[in-house]
Amino acid sequence: MRSRISVLFVLVFVMSGLLTACGSPTAAPATQVPATQAPEPTDVPKPPTPAAIEIGASMPLTGKYGALGAMVKPGYEYAVADINAAGGIYVKEYDAKIPLRLTIYDDESDPTKAVSKLETLYSDQKVVAYLGGAGSDMHAATSAIAEKNGVPYCGVAFALWQIHQQGYRYLFSPFPKSPDQARDVYEILNGLPEGERPTKVAIFQEKTDWGIELGGLWKDNAATYGYEVVAYEEYAPRSEDFSGMILKAQAAGAQTLLAMPSPPDGLAMVKQMAELGWAPEFSLIIRAPENVTWGETLGTTGDYITIFPGWHNGEKFPGVAELNAAYQAQFGRPADLLTGPAYACVQIFADAIARAGTLDRAALRDAVAATDMMTVVGPVTFNADGTGNVLNPLIQWQSGKLELVWPPEQATADLLFPAPAFDKR
Amino acid sequence: MTGKRIITLVLIIAVLALLAALPAVVSRDSIINMAVLVLLYVALASSWNILGGYTGQTNLGHAAFFGLGGLTTRLLWLSAGWSLFPSLLAGAGAATTLALIIGTPAFKLKGVYFAIGTLALGQVLNVTVGDMFPMITSLPVQQLVSYQLLPRYYLFVGLAVLTVGTAYVLVNSRLGLGMMAVREEEEAAESLGVSAFRHKLLALVVSAFLAGLTGGAFAFYHVGYYPQFLFSPVWTFDALMMAYIGGTGTIIGPIIGALFFVVAKELLALRLVEIHLTVFGTLFILVVLFLPGGFVQAWASIRRALVRQLGARGVRLASRRQAS
Amino acid sequence: MLGPIAQNLVFGIMVGGLYGLAAVGLSLVFGVTKFLNVAHGELLMLGGYAGFWIFTLWGVDPFLSLPLVVVCLVLIGLVLYKLLFARMVKLTEENKIKNTLLVGFGLSLVFQNMALRLWSADDRGITTAYSGQALTLFGVRFPVVRLASLAIAVVTLLLLDLFLHRTYTGKAIRATVQDWEAATLMGIDIHRVYLLSFVVGAAVAGIAGALVSVGYSIEPAMGLEWTLIALIVMVLGGLGSIVGTFVGGLVLGVTQSLTSYWIGGTYREIVALLIFLVVLVFRPQGLFGSKEG
Repeated sequence: MRSRISVLFVLVFVMSGLLTACGSPTAAPATQVPATQAPEPTDVPKPPTPAAIEIGASMPLTGKYGALGAMVKPGYEYAVADINAAGGIYVKEYDAKIPLRLTIYDDESDPTKAVSKLETLYSDQKVVAYLGGAGSDMHAATSAIAEKNGVPYCGVAFALWQIHQQGYRYLFSPFPKSPDQARDVYEILNGLPEGERPTKVAIFQEKTDWGIELGGLWKDNAATYGYEVVAYEEYAPRSEDFSGMILKAQAAGAQTLLAMPSPPDGLAMVKQMAELGWAPEFSLIIRAPENVTWGETLGTTGDYITIFPGWHNGEKFPGVAELNAAYQAQFGRPADLLTGPAYACVQIFADAIARAGTLDRAALRDAVAATDMMTVVGPVTFNADGTGNVLNPLIQWQSGKLELVWPPEQATADLLFPAPAFDKR
Repeated sequence: MTGKRIITLVLIIAVLALLAALPAVVSRDSIINMAVLVLLYVALASSWNILGGYTGQTNLGHAAFFGLGGLTTRLLWLSAGWSLFPSLLAGAGAATTLALIIGTPAFKLKGVYFAIGTLALGQVLNVTVGDMFPMITSLPVQQLVSYQLLPRYYLFVGLAVLTVGTAYVLVNSRLGLGMMAVREEEEAAESLGVSAFRHKLLALVVSAFLAGLTGGAFAFYHVGYYPQFLFSPVWTFDALMMAYIGGTGTIIGPIIGALFFVVAKELLALRLVEIHLTVFGTLFILVVLFLPGGFVQAWASIRRALVRQLGARGVRLASRRQAS
Repeated sequence: MLGPIAQNLVFGIMVGGLYGLAAVGLSLVFGVTKFLNVAHGELLMLGGYAGFWIFTLWGVDPFLSLPLVVVCLVLIGLVLYKLLFARMVKLTEENKIKNTLLVGFGLSLVFQNMALRLWSADDRGITTAYSGQALTLFGVRFPVVRLASLAIAVVTLLLLDLFLHRTYTGKAIRATVQDWEAATLMGIDIHRVYLLSFVVGAAVAGIAGALVSVGYSIEPAMGLEWTLIALIVMVLGGLGSIVGTFVGGLVLGVTQSLTSYWIGGTYREIVALLIFLVVLVFRPQGLFGSKEG
């Protein structure tokens, strides 16, 4: 009996050890050690210089938003590493360059755990700024904690506009929001010659707050731009079967599909569109196709689909090439769609800390609000509600690759339109 | 016997004093937050235990009561502007009403059919609430700025004490004996004049009331979440795991289970960011394998072994003394 | 008008076949051993990743690689049984359910995170050259992949049924379901029967998972959802009937599809669950379960 028990022990530990060891050779430690910094001699007495500027994030590294968290996390880490490589941020109050120290916790895609992790960051690490996780329900919970604790919060990877309308002062998001997405899609389509526009629109709306918000805006804007919504179908997230909705859109002769499915729903949706032989001339599917594995999972079936991702590694802004190079070295591909905006968040905080000249959170908040700078996502300023004035690029899957197709001055390829039938791709 | 009782009483008073004094001893909000989570799960697991542990009816829809309590309380307290305690009571009342409605059809089902039937029921509410309330519920800014953790902490202390106390009083009453009789042998209990249905329904109603109250306290505690979140089956499973791993059908079991579950998980999460769930899962399996009846039973057998050892030594000592 | 409904029905049956298959494995294990393995959904996930891996690494067609997936899952099932579940055999039924549930919960955490490390949290799936193709019959499209999946589900079911009714071991398994004490007295090796059921259950979950990866998509956190579906279908069909369980799956799938067409996609899950509850009220032992349950 005893020998069996010990065998079991050994097996289980070897198993978990192996899994973790071989699983993720690239996994970075949660806490980045600050670079050493040289103390600068001064005459004036000043408060003791902290060893590091503490910033922290709780993000979904496991659970349903794990894939999003995995794209956001390296953005924060690279930005912190880059700033620390330059010696940190000059803070006037201490007349010294102080490095950043980033602490990241996993919240398992669970808003309650995210809240408790943020409270830990606040009371134990005494962070001066929060970096957001991913997914709008996570942000909804965590941005409230930021407001409660009075800690400036920068979050990306959510387009929900509603969060910003609650009067929060500490929430900032340099990321395109639903109104941008609802306007730009028609602007882009109206760039096509008048007779060719796919004016019959089908909207597949996920029954979540963001789905309702964006679907409603798409519907409201259609007439203004000369489009007609011929099918508007709601569904609960996590559906295996979309055939009913697809059949209705097909019967209504829809030429354009607008949708915002989660990754499993998006994959099922497009697979079933192919099987039912419905290929809209233009598809804007936000979210699901942002997943890096979309192309390899669907092959040519996934081509021609367009996305508003918030950022693309083909943008021609300073720092993008370096970020891509670092990402390429670590992951074997250029930076992922959410990595750039995450990087920009740290850039914005660094700039604001330098301008504020202090680590006081309220002063830092005011400095962030006054941001007017160039980042890897382009020029960023903030509105009073914390939404950012940022570029909203459109990208398209072309031959298994993501190409930037709009706006023209940033484009890496032309928009392919109209999309052919699935069996001709 | 009286000595044992005194020890128990002293222990209870000590725990209560510790809970009362905790905020004075530790100033870090993170510890208080963790304590809130522990107390929340103590209440949830103990409330589950009344029906699941003492009456033997594995309810897999417990999240429905928790969620309904939370939803009602939040709506009344935050949107309708009620004060806290009426809202909490209304939440518990809503959960109790649901229990009364489903009780009759649900208890037609036996064993695993009851378990899965309640699971489906919980899922119906889960999906329905997701449809009806897709919007987040956040505290308004004024309330966020004036948010106080301590009143919330003490609310949870009171809630945990109330839940555990109710469970204690209930299971030590005639009704509790009836519940346990139903668990052991339903037909035998019936033949002795114990109405199985009435006892089950009573256990369900009390369990639902306390779960609803816990949900309401969560609604008061949490800054921002989606209403559907409280109906997630994960709440049921967590409560059930805690009761099982601590020891079902005991008062202390769910308490120990909740403590182990929350503290171990949280500490691992803070230290082993990337692999904490793997380690927790492994730890969990090991605990189950080596303590198959839960912590309480393991403790009982350790104590028996100790007593036997000590007893044997005592006899040996005594005989040696006699010999010399 | 009839066209879209027939089309919808076809999709419903195909989804239902997968629900059924996912539940058959769970039902077999639970019926024989009274092990409530809540990591069943994770076994399904592992089957999906096994198929996915074989496809991406060696380019083997997902339907041809099914035997390999079965081998993988049999091995995993064997290890899990020997290491963990074999210790639960002697417990009382109640304690068996409790302890296996707890072990299953721990396992699901370990497996989820193992999958996360090995394959990342991204959603994966298999797309073959013939994915998206469909046979058209009377104006109704039958997607090739789904048709093949349904066929495999049915074949798996028939083989299982044949095994349980025609072989000595199968009969031993069924005897154990009815009365394990009597079966032991008759000289049936209960450990062997338990092991076999557990392993077969894992293999069936693996097949279901591989089919999910072809027809839909897989990700590390998918397990819970499939465990819940399998539990509900198992009870809907009624314990003790493999074919009944499968039919339960079909009923669920068709109900969901028709609901989403007639009433709207938002209600497909609620209506299906409500119908399940109504069935339970009138038939507390499930559609095809025996009264003694």
